[in-house]
Amino acid sequence: MKNILDVNDLRKTILRMAFKGSTVHIACSLSIVEILAVIYRSHLNYDVKKIDDPTRDYLILSKGHGVMAQYACLRELGLISKKDIENYFGDGTMLKGLSDSRVPGLEVCSGTLGHGLSVATGLALGAKRNQTHQKIFAVVGDGELNEGPCWEAIMFAGHHKLENLMIIVDKNNFQALAETKEIIDQENLSKSIESFGFEVLSVDGHDEQELHTAIGNLFQSDTLKPKAIVANTKKGYGISFMEDSNEWHYKRLDDETYQAALKELELKK
Amino acid sequence: MRDAFSTELIKLFSKDPKAILLTGDHGYGLFDSLRKKHSDQYLNVGVAEQNMVGVAAGLSRSGFKPFVYALSCFVPVRVLEQIKIDVCHDKLAVIFIGDGAGFVYSHLGTSHQSTEDIAVIRSIPNINILSPADRFEMISCVNLAYSLEESVYLRMGKSDVGDIHQDTPQLKLGDLLPIKVNKSNIHFIATGSMVKTAVTLAEEFEVSVSSAPCLKPINKEQVSQICQRNEIVVTLEEHSIFGGLGSIVSEIASEISQAKVLRIGVEDRFTEYCGTYNYLLKEQGLDLSSVRSKIKNFLKKA
Repeated sequence: MKNILDVNDLRKTILRMAFKGSTVHIACSLSIVEILAVIYRSHLNYDVKKIDDPTRDYLILSKGHGVMAQYACLRELGLISKKDIENYFGDGTMLKGLSDSRVPGLEVCSGTLGHGLSVATGLALGAKRNQTHQKIFAVVGDGELNEGPCWEAIMFAGHHKLENLMIIVDKNNFQALAETKEIIDQENLSKSIESFGFEVLSVDGHDEQELHTAIGNLFQSDTLKPKAIVANTKKGYGISFMEDSNEWHYKRLDDETYQAALKELELKK
Repeated sequence: MRDAFSTELIKLFSKDPKAILLTGDHGYGLFDSLRKKHSDQYLNVGVAEQNMVGVAAGLSRSGFKPFVYALSCFVPVRVLEQIKIDVCHDKLAVIFIGDGAGFVYSHLGTSHQSTEDIAVIRSIPNINILSPADRFEMISCVNLAYSLEESVYLRMGKSDVGDIHQDTPQLKLGDLLPIKVNKSNIHFIATGSMVKTAVTLAEEFEVSVSSAPCLKPINKEQVSQICQRNEIVVTLEEHSIFGGLGSIVSEIASEISQAKVLRIGVEDRFTEYCGTYNYLLKEQGLDLSSVRSKIKNFLKKA
């Protein structure tokens, strides 16, 4: 049986959108494919027929620049059409270059960084008070963690013991212009988050089984602590000439690079 | 006025268990009774205003009715982007209370003085602006804000300048409240603390006075009528002359009337010195005698 939310297929959709829309932000979408696939596939209580159900689990993409990866998942789930993909960035189309809550299936506007995590924290507090047993996932970029409000939210979640909140850090070690260690070094990221009262696991963010197990174990834990996963990823993962090459934060695909990238994915089948 | 705010809040919180007050470690003494009666509906989120607004957005989406309280220099000014993106874009119903607007913190300097808040919030869609002048307007405004199921910025300025009304006025969203009626062709429209100044000067200039507790939306019909029936309209506010009440009235007047509009407010400058509230008003040309002179000069030229 075909694996739903197959990561190779998701990457193909990302490339297709990026090529058709001639967009930037390809590499930071490729780094979160496994993270989103595992959450949607196995952990998110989410009915695509009732996307406004107030008791749903929330997947908040706080690093809104990786939105093409979420579009690719929503395409697989049937919330976005093939036409939406093919017309990406066309005049009058709905799918923007950053996460936008008006798009069915996207929960927040997170084009400016450091917003999504606070909203997720509020949702987690609301769910806890309402005793609805909802899970709130927030996918945050390591570059995004330069933003002060992220740490305001982390302190708040730790203090209020929001055990229904899980932060997943896409630690791809790059941000827009350089490696994170050159800008704001986050060598002790797990310990930093842990120090605010979180239960933290560090995993290979491209190993679906490892991600799946870590998410499951953290939510089964009976400590009343918010959870975080530091997912060690590679920016541009899956396409050899994009991996760990920060130029693909802003570089656009042409015919040649698009075909070369697709070919690599075909060979992985 | 702050007591009226606190009392009304307790009444609303008693009726609505989903109402919740968020404060960024501000409001000394203001919420003592609320905390006693409804401790689970009071949340001090810490000195972290940006996160406070995001949390309020999340709570609103979870079915709560958040009231977000801070000094006006923080909410809405510091957290403008969070209000725009996290709250207004998604048409959530969050009530923001900006306390100490204008020159209330006269001794603390520019960081705590807030005279640009109306201007910046006004250009964001899906949020209303209320600016009560006394405790009676405050009662109307708090209840109006609660009933709207939309976002509101409630501007709380100098709160002890005295009563304007004798009773709680019926307030429909947008409406101006007539305070004094005179037959001259001059009309004062004021908001917040400056309504008192307008009323004080009304006899001397033999003018009509309206209070504008709703700045967005504002009843365009009422403002149009005032501008058409008068040759001169004077606006008074403890806020910049750019983007606040003066701009609102001028924009309407320019479309429909020949009326000249004198905008009295803060004239594009930070304060230099500290001192009492009345000293600061004087430094900014907003004390009674400065306002009187500005109006006299304008009338001479008009």
